[in-house]
Amino acid sequence: MLLDYDRLGWLRAALLGFTGLVAAFLLLPVVLIVLLSFGSSRWLAFPPPSWTLKWYGELFADPAWLEAALTSARIAAMAALLAVVIGLLASFALVRGQFRGRNVLRGLLLTPMVLPVVVFAIAIYAFFLRIGLGGTTAGFVIAHTVLALPFAIIPITAALEGFDKSIEDAAIVCGASPFEAKLRVTLPAIKIGIFSAAIFAFLASWDEVVVAIFMASPNLQTLPVKIWGSLRQDLSPVIAAASSLLVFLTLSLMIVTALIRRKLSK
Amino acid sequence: MSCNLLHRQPILRRPDGSGGALPALTLITLFFVVPVVALLLRSVTEPVPGLHNYATLFGDGTYARVFFNTFLVATVVTTVTVIVAFPVAWMLAIMPPALGSIVFGIIILSMWTNLLTRTYAWMVLLQRTGVINRTLMDIGLISQPLPLINNLTGVTIGMVYIMLPFMILPLVGTLRAIDPMTLRAAALCGASPFEAFRRILLPLSLPGIAAGGLMVFVMSLGYFVTPTLLGGTSNMMLAAMIAQMIQSLLNWGLGSAAAFILLVVTMALYALQLRLVGAKRMTGGI
Repeated sequence: MLLDYDRLGWLRAALLGFTGLVAAFLLLPVVLIVLLSFGSSRWLAFPPPSWTLKWYGELFADPAWLEAALTSARIAAMAALLAVVIGLLASFALVRGQFRGRNVLRGLLLTPMVLPVVVFAIAIYAFFLRIGLGGTTAGFVIAHTVLALPFAIIPITAALEGFDKSIEDAAIVCGASPFEAKLRVTLPAIKIGIFSAAIFAFLASWDEVVVAIFMASPNLQTLPVKIWGSLRQDLSPVIAAASSLLVFLTLSLMIVTALIRRKLSK
Repeated sequence: MSCNLLHRQPILRRPDGSGGALPALTLITLFFVVPVVALLLRSVTEPVPGLHNYATLFGDGTYARVFFNTFLVATVVTTVTVIVAFPVAWMLAIMPPALGSIVFGIIILSMWTNLLTRTYAWMVLLQRTGVINRTLMDIGLISQPLPLINNLTGVTIGMVYIMLPFMILPLVGTLRAIDPMTLRAAALCGASPFEAFRRILLPLSLPGIAAGGLMVFVMSLGYFVTPTLLGGTSNMMLAAMIAQMIQSLLNWGLGSAAAFILLVVTMALYALQLRLVGAKRMTGGI
């Protein structure tokens, strides 16, 4: 009865214990960083000798951190918007289209997710240097849109595959134009897929390190580039403070996502 | 005249439904395919035309060591990840939802937390005076701090941490799709739990293990951030070497040749994975 939770016997205790250990392993670094960001030790001793807020003070005293965060948010928002719009159009073609090479096209559009990002990073870096987009916001947004596109296409095609096209056809029969039917019938029906696409695409850009390291210039730094630069110098607790804020942001995003998904699926 | 009008359909509404893919295709061709191909061309044209960049990469012991390190780490990381992920995915597949959602929440939290944040945490945990060494010394297990960082041990720990969610989540799907009745039937026919595991549960979950394992292996081969930060300079992996050749040494020829090797290996394994599981199933992970 290996797949029956109630009849696993002694095995259940062993497997549950193991699962608990792995969950602790996954949680450990996240919790530790948050605790250390309030600790007073510059060398990140644990448990901390006393508690303090001074690392957060240092973080907010340096305007470069806030500026990097705003740059990241701006680039990620634009890349996510572009990736969702382009991905939505492409998803209709991939799911509904009747043309040869559809699977090849699907594979091609998903390749940026598979190709090691360092290869893409140096390729786009060289390309942008040549055409004059190196170190610009536009260059950042284009490169991140390429990387975010697969993360938009996957949830949207999945949602579209689960949608019965005859409902859209019914709207057309009742007098709606094909565009109107898509806008007012199909899009609301796949809104959870679109919403997931936006979240994933945003995170793909917001967390992106490798392309950003190559593209960044002294006047244009995203948050990961700023963290990367500080990490290469020392393990300052200021990074722990910045990281804790990011963890807090992730948690809020998870909660908001869960709430919106629940609301949308009603 | 009317004929002419009929042919002038908007480009996005081509009759075979392919028009919508046009913006995506343009974006990917212009800003992905062209730059990557241009990069690979540099590997056979710089500094002089020919294959000498590849000869250098394959002929020099220093580079052989980097390739060996990369494959070694990817193999160890994949093996450990599969072994650790399987029992967790198994439990998640059958756990009561209330308990399961807590574990799922932890997995998603770890997966969505900024990559640099997680790597930074492991740098802090693994350093000489870090939490792990201090705890082990305090309880008297070791008298000298263990070398856990700036070597392949550190890289492996950090990579397993990052890869676990990518293995666990698809495996849960595979295990949930197995009909529990097959195992009940095995038990009724007198199979011991171990036999039922070896002859039914494991073979039935093998496609999921293979697909997830291959994905983890491919991702590990080309990983840049974690190996660079946890591995130190003497244990370089392929992606870090490529970045260094371009960024610090400005040797575009050699760097793009190394990038081409990484690309070929990755794409070959990707094709194998597509054949194993099919394009649609593979992307069900997220």
